[in-house]
Amino acid sequence: MGEGMGESTPVRLRVNGVTTALVCPPERILLDLLREDLNLTGTKRGCDLGTCGCCTVWVDGKPVLSCLTLARLVSGRDITTIEGVTPASGLSDLQRAFVDHGATQCGFCTPGFVMTATALLRDHPHPTKPEIERAIAGNLCRCTGYIKIVEAVAATAEGRP
Amino acid sequence: MAAPDAPAPTYRLIGTRIPYIEGPLKVTGRAEYTDDIKRSGQLIARLLRSPWPHARLRSINVEKARAMPGVAAVLTGEKYPTPFGVLPITHDETAIAVGKVRYIGDILAAVAASDEATADRALEAIEVDIEPLPDYPEPQGGTIAVAEPIHARGLNGTNIQKEVVQHFGDVDAAFAKAHATVRVRGTFAGVTHAFTEPMATIAEATPDGRLTVWSATQVPHYLHRALSEVLGIPMHRIRVIKPEVGGGFGGKSDPLPHEIICAALSLETGRPVKILFDREDVFVTNHGRHPTKNDVRIAVDADGRILAYDIEALIDGGAWSSFGTVTTYYNGVLSMGPYRVPNFRYHGRRVYTTKPPSGAMRAHGGTNIRYSVELALDDLAERLGIDPFDLRERNALPPHSTTVNQFRITSTSFVKCLHAARERSGWDQKYRKLPYGKGVGLGCGFYISGSNSPIHFTPKMPQCTVHLKADMDGGIAVHCMQADIGQGSNTLLAAIVAEVVGVDLDRVHIMRVDSDVSPVDIGSYSSRVTFMMGNAARQAAESLRDQLIRAASRLTGYPPAQLEVAHEKIRVRHRPDIAVDYLAALHAAMERTGALLATGAYNSPPMGGDFKGARAGTAPAYSFAAYVAQVDVDVETGVYRVEKVWAAFDCGRVLNRLAVEGQIEGSIHMGLGQMMGEAMSYRGARLMNPSLLDYKIPMPQQMPEVECLLVGDDDPEGPFGGKEAGEGPLIATLPAVGNALHDAVGVRYHDLPVTPDKVLRGIEVREQSGRAWKGVG
Amino acid sequence: MHLDPFELHRPSSVEETVSLAGRLAPAFDYIAGGTDLLPNYKMRLNVRPNLIALEDVSELRGISLDRVGAMVRLGELETDPAFGSAYRGVVEAAAEVATPLVRASGTVGGNLLVETRCFFFNQSFPWRKSLGFCLKADGDKCHVVPQKEKCYATFSGDLAPTLAVLDAEVEVAGPDGRRRVPVASLYDASGDGIQRHHLRPSELIVAVHFPPEARTLRGSYRKLRIRPSFDFPELGVAVAARQSADGGVERLALSVGGLETYPRRFDDLTRRLVGERPTIAKVRELADAVRQLVRPVHNTALAPDYRRKMAGVYVRRSVAEILGVAEETR
Ligand SMILES: Cc1cc2nc3c(=O)[nH]c(=O)nc-3n(C[C@H](O)[C@H](O)[C@H](O)COP(=O)(O)OP(=O)(O)OC[C@H]3O[C@@H](n4cnc5c(N)ncnc54)[C@H](O)[C@@H]3O)c2cc1C
Ligand code: SF4
Ligand code: FES
Ligand code: FES
Repeated sequence: MGEGMGESTPVRLRVNGVTTALVCPPERILLDLLREDLNLTGTKRGCDLGTCGCCTVWVDGKPVLSCLTLARLVSGRDITTIEGVTPASGLSDLQRAFVDHGATQCGFCTPGFVMTATALLRDHPHPTKPEIERAIAGNLCRCTGYIKIVEAVAATAEGRP
Repeated sequence: MAAPDAPAPTYRLIGTRIPYIEGPLKVTGRAEYTDDIKRSGQLIARLLRSPWPHARLRSINVEKARAMPGVAAVLTGEKYPTPFGVLPITHDETAIAVGKVRYIGDILAAVAASDEATADRALEAIEVDIEPLPDYPEPQGGTIAVAEPIHARGLNGTNIQKEVVQHFGDVDAAFAKAHATVRVRGTFAGVTHAFTEPMATIAEATPDGRLTVWSATQVPHYLHRALSEVLGIPMHRIRVIKPEVGGGFGGKSDPLPHEIICAALSLETGRPVKILFDREDVFVTNHGRHPTKNDVRIAVDADGRILAYDIEALIDGGAWSSFGTVTTYYNGVLSMGPYRVPNFRYHGRRVYTTKPPSGAMRAHGGTNIRYSVELALDDLAERLGIDPFDLRERNALPPHSTTVNQFRITSTSFVKCLHAARERSGWDQKYRKLPYGKGVGLGCGFYISGSNSPIHFTPKMPQCTVHLKADMDGGIAVHCMQADIGQGSNTLLAAIVAEVVGVDLDRVHIMRVDSDVSPVDIGSYSSRVTFMMGNAARQAAESLRDQLIRAASRLTGYPPAQLEVAHEKIRVRHRPDIAVDYLAALHAAMERTGALLATGAYNSPPMGGDFKGARAGTAPAYSFAAYVAQVDVDVETGVYRVEKVWAAFDCGRVLNRLAVEGQIEGSIHMGLGQMMGEAMSYRGARLMNPSLLDYKIPMPQQMPEVECLLVGDDDPEGPFGGKEAGEGPLIATLPAVGNALHDAVGVRYHDLPVTPDKVLRGIEVREQSGRAWKGVG
Repeated sequence: MHLDPFELHRPSSVEETVSLAGRLAPAFDYIAGGTDLLPNYKMRLNVRPNLIALEDVSELRGISLDRVGAMVRLGELETDPAFGSAYRGVVEAAAEVATPLVRASGTVGGNLLVETRCFFFNQSFPWRKSLGFCLKADGDKCHVVPQKEKCYATFSGDLAPTLAVLDAEVEVAGPDGRRRVPVASLYDASGDGIQRHHLRPSELIVAVHFPPEARTLRGSYRKLRIRPSFDFPELGVAVAARQSADGGVERLALSVGGLETYPRRFDDLTRRLVGERPTIAKVRELADAVRQLVRPVHNTALAPDYRRKMAGVYVRRSVAEILGVAEETR
């Protein structure tokens, strides 16, 4: 039950549908584990303190901040990263819309937005503009002014190009 | 969807909405940023930063740190003491502090270790002995001789880094005969870029005597030079690679100490070394917009024609020069356009302080002064009973004119911008007619489209070179050191090549910036890339196209002059049914020579006057803007919302509509940040808010609706007639909101950011003075 | 950024949790969503060698109109339709905490015990070391009010004021058993930003309980901050009221957070309106009195005099709105 101070013990994580066994200490943060141990570098580190949303992943389908999540506490849960929401070939409708609507500029915030907005549309297929704005208000973007991000999400919801 | 008044599209790609070519990689997390790269055996470096604002270093003892298990190297300043800086005339930085620290956050030592935790522990084991020196957190105190100047290079024992005095015409005479004058004093907190990707660098020294550096930089070429200078390694043995960059906005344009340190640590250890900043590192590295005080006096005649400007600026430089000499000039020279100003006097001083250095940030040098000027003009308009639009129009710089300080103005669609913004915003029905708390305001803008002079080499060498290679596979590889940092320059480069050669966009491959193969472009700053790279790319593509046309001529028997490119083919102009496929033409052209090569370059034409500082602000073209903002103020709390911005912008011909809109929207967001809440907040020399929680970047709900009105006519020298749209779009945002606040509540706010508490205070002061919210007084 | 090593414990029942806590106290912290604790740990603020994770303690879950488990995520609370229609104020507050991403992990229990904030405290280790550590972490002086030997860190949780005005209680478990504490008296009203609350070191919040009367009240929450998300409250005003058919005030409660070291109720002031037909003059009087009583200090983004002034405006607006008193238009 108690896991020793800094002691690395085995943990099983299901990431993007694949269960991996690895060894990590109690203080291992999910973001570090994804990027450093599993080389899933699509999840970005913008601040490490919960203040940017670049590190958004899903735990059991819910978008959360991987920089504020202890890896051990999500063992046995379903973890999905940007790599996991990307189809084997091509792009998801939302990803396509992000490209076509100019919702990505420097792109560093983009995986986080895609994770947040994909979950939004799954749970609320027809959000209003204020609902979209509220839903993405934990993801910072410094390039776009959010306008084209909101547009891309709305266009996807409405099934228009 | 093209606006009805857009120029008729005459190109296949140029002028349309072209999604970013690397977009699919970005939306899937596959785009590779510096921290995504991992070199085998890499060490992690961390920096020990000064806790003192100003101190003389007596000794640094690193023995304990060096002896710790897992620590590979510890570096202090004396190993690489060669000074560097982005401008050759102001080399005042060292990679690590030598002799002295100059701000809280200045780098004292660096450690490379097996992992971050080990490196951090090692930092704590370093012992530093210092003698505290007086700190100078404010520029005011530094304008006279001080006990301990921050730099020896300060003018006459002061902390003044740069002083600019300019006088054109006769300002005093103009004021003496003026019908009306106005004086505005503005105070501007520093703001910072706050890109989402923290700085990151990897360096790898290899046994062949070479050094490879991957870095999140927007100016790979200056980094290349600085590495060579400081490390004493010739440039050809250094290879700089720019991976994808997560935003720059000017903050990644100076060569930065950590990039040099990272390389030095790799040289020291023989292993790859990575350094990744945390947010606090990013904030104290700063190089953002300067905290500034300006004092603007403007004289006009009875018709509201500008007679003279008399401007002073006191600019808080922080610890280093950075781009500061340019900043000091820009605060003066960029204040005039889009207006004709016959008499002009400027006194600008940039003063070193013991704060994190300021530098170049989007719309560098043109933002703060513009705010004060535009508020001053609105005040004059009101007092003279002239509509703010009319006043601006009367003063508009004509196309193909020269300013009093010898700027060469070629294209300007400023008056078209004014007309579009006025009409679309319904200005005449709104201005001074909305109920208390609601208002509209006009703000205008002007910015350089590229700087005429390269910083580091003779203007005879081109500022940008583009190489193309077309081979049997039909692809066209494009090499150029231009730095896409999210603004879409890769896409534009590809689109120009595809447009000219007539091929599909997916045939064009923009190769990653790599100094070993990319010909020099001096990077993403001063809004130069579209103009300069665009011209170089067009030239290179035309040369490739001509090779294809010559081959097609051989195949068809028609002379080259009668051939033209069409989509994926070359055809006879008057007999379009006679055509050669692109591939067939390419393969024919390759006979004997193999893969086709083509090159293009851009030099800007000679321009500018013959006086000290004449080159500052000279540009091959300028952008113009007229924005209207509409605000809604809660007059009891001071909380306000910007509801809509009508953004009329002249970037010449729109080359990629999607990208231009994106730049305008992003610029408005950044401008609103500075207007409404962003501030580098200091207590003395100490930065109080080095985090994305306490530094208030606006949220989606705070964004206004934005209507882009792209009304520019073709620029005669711009690629396809295009000009910049990366920085200029920020400038007009702030005064548009500032003037709208005045229309709403009758107060002109001159202390940025204008947070709700200040709005309320302004209203209270006005009420106490008995002044009504509307009407002259 | 990295965390210093700690031992991680994962009990699965309340009893197991508190007995573990009893053994480890005070060298441990509970971790619920971790959205407050982990940033603080990354900045090495009062780091402890043991973390007890509440993740697996199923008794801490569950939402009903009578009870909300401590481990209920704010995101769950704000989207629970039944709860939302019964306790509008609580849900308004929950929906304004941080960001949707933080609320997906952040819990009710964690929100009640969110660390008090101060811009000299919520800083990295090197930052704090450079200035000299303060009373609240590793040091012996206060940078905000240097003359005083106490801490003025600001209570910044959004939920507590809204629960306090409903007379909700927290169920607390400790090694010696369980007890109930009204939310309104959970916090240390002596104004100490370090002590913050009256829980013993090993005590655990199990749930929040709502008295039946709570459902008869109308509540609201108004939050002042610079940005509509991310930002902690610079002021948070919760009110709850019930009126008779003729508009007479039967019950009125007011709690103000984000200003001082604890969320503060103003029962003496609100009582004056009970039994009366409310008028805007009386509401104004109440608001003015609150404004005069509160004492924010300069340790958050907005200046204290402004926050204080806004306390008056927000209280007036909230109370007028909840009591349906028309405000004269200016
Ligand atoms: C960017 C950002 C913005 C934020 N903005 C806001 C905001 O606007 N308003 C706001 O209120 N909060 C804000 N927070 C703080 C925090 O996210 C929330 O308060 C959240 O509800 C805390 O819950 P948690 O479960 O994550 O707490 P944790 O971090 O797990 O715990 C917080 C504290 O409570 C203790 N604790 C937790 N559960 C229990 C329990 N059941 N019994 C006893 N002790 C317990 C912990 O030991 C710890 O001391 C913000 C955080 C971030 C990162
Ligand atoms: S109020 Fe004083 S003691 Fe408390 S956290 Fe702030 S500086 Fe430290
Ligand atoms: S990296 Fe997780 S929120 Fe910024
Ligand atoms: S696209 Fe650059 S931060 Fe969003």
